[in-house]
Amino acid sequence: MKICFLKPRKLKLIPGKVNDDPEFKLSARYMTRNVLLSAGESQCIFKICDGQVSELVLNPSPMEPWDFFIKAPEKSWEIFLQPLPPPFYHSLFGASIREDFQFGGNIEAMFAHYWALQRMLSILRQIQNE
Amino acid sequence: MAKLEAVIGRYCYLTVDGVEYRVYFEENGRGIPLLCQHTAGSDGRQWRHLLNDPEVTSKYRVIVPDLPYHGKSLPPQSVDWWKAEYKLTKSFFIDFLVELKHCLELKRPAFIGCSMGGNLALDLALERPDEFKAVIGLEGADYTPGLDIIWFNHPRISGEFKFANLYESTAPAGPENNRREIGWVYSQSAPPVFRGDLYYYSREHNLTGQLGRIDTSRIPVYLLCGEYDFASTPEMCRRTASQIKGAKYTLMEGLGHFPVAENYQLFKRYLMPVLNEIANMR
Repeated sequence: MKICFLKPRKLKLIPGKVNDDPEFKLSARYMTRNVLLSAGESQCIFKICDGQVSELVLNPSPMEPWDFFIKAPEKSWEIFLQPLPPPFYHSLFGASIREDFQFGGNIEAMFAHYWALQRMLSILRQIQNE
Repeated sequence: MAKLEAVIGRYCYLTVDGVEYRVYFEENGRGIPLLCQHTAGSDGRQWRHLLNDPEVTSKYRVIVPDLPYHGKSLPPQSVDWWKAEYKLTKSFFIDFLVELKHCLELKRPAFIGCSMGGNLALDLALERPDEFKAVIGLEGADYTPGLDIIWFNHPRISGEFKFANLYESTAPAGPENNRREIGWVYSQSAPPVFRGDLYYYSREHNLTGQLGRIDTSRIPVYLLCGEYDFASTPEMCRRTASQIKGAKYTLMEGLGHFPVAENYQLFKRYLMPVLNEIANMR
C-alpha cells in the first residue's frame, strides 16, 4: 500500500480536507512554513501559507525550499498512518525517540507549530484509510 | 439542589529546607492514607477520577497535593524565586513528600505517583522505606534520561506545544475528552515548570545499579506501565522491576503515560488488585 501523500490521486484530496478541518484552522493560524515529508526515496513538500495548505510538491527538485523535514522509511509511515497505530507510532514524538522517525531543519519552527503539524498528520491518517 | 463532589480542597503550611510553603491539597475518603503525586509540569487535577471513586475512597483517604509552583500551590513568599531558574531536585521532592506526611499527621500512608511521581516511588522506597506502607509507581523507571529538552521552555515556543505533545503521550483509543484535558492542564503551567521538573525526572533521578538495595520486605513495591508510554516504556519499567527482588510489575494494555487521567475506568482494572492487596496488609 502506498502512502497517501505520495499517491497523486489521494494527494489531490489533501488540501481540501486539511484546510476545512476546524482544529487545523485554529492551530495553524499563524503558520507559514514549507514542510518536507520524506518516505524512503520519495518526498513531498507541504507549502502552508497563513494557515492553509496552498500547494503540495511531489518529489520536488533540490532547488525547492523547505523549513523542516520529517523523515521515515516508507514501511514506517505505513505503520504510523494505520487507523490505530501500535505503541510509539501513535505519536510523532514517540516515533522519533523510540522508532525510526527523524526530523530536522528548523526544528524551532517545527515545535512552534507542533499542534498544527500533529493535526495535519492525523488528517493524513484519515485520508490514508478512506 | 447543587451538584457537589465530596472532594474538598484545603491549604496547609509546611517547611522544607527552612522555606515555608503554602500547599494546596485535595482529599476524599476514609481509611488508609493514599498520597498521590502528579506528573511533571502538571498538578493534582489529574487525580480527579480517583478522588471521586467510592470503591477507592471507601477504603482509602485519598490525598492529592499540588507541588509548590504547581496548580494552586504558589511559589513561596520568603524567596526571590524569580531570580533563579526553577529546578525540582531529588532532595526537595523526597523531603517535601515526607514533610507533607508529617504535616498532615499521616501514619504510614501508601504512596502512588505517576511519571516523575513513579520515579519518586522508587526513590522513596530506597531512601525512606519506613515512612510508607507501600509504593505504587506508574510510568516510572530506574532512569529516564533525555526528556528535559529546551523546547519545553523556550520564549518562541508557546504552551500549545505542551498541549499537543502531552495529548499524544496518551494511548490513541482512550476517551478523547480526557486526552485533551491532559494537554489542557499542561498548557496552563508556568513556562519553566515542566522543564524544571524534568531536571529531576531526566537528570537527578538515576537508580542505575542501586535497585538491589530496595528491600520489599520493608516496603512493598508495585510498578505499572502503560503499553503506549514512550517516555518510560514498558521495557524500561519491566527491567526496573526485575532488579528489585519482590517487586510486582504489571503491563497496562491500552494505556499511555497518564493512566489515571486518560482512561480511569480502564486503569482501575489494573489498580484495584494492587489497592486491595495493600489494604489487606498488616
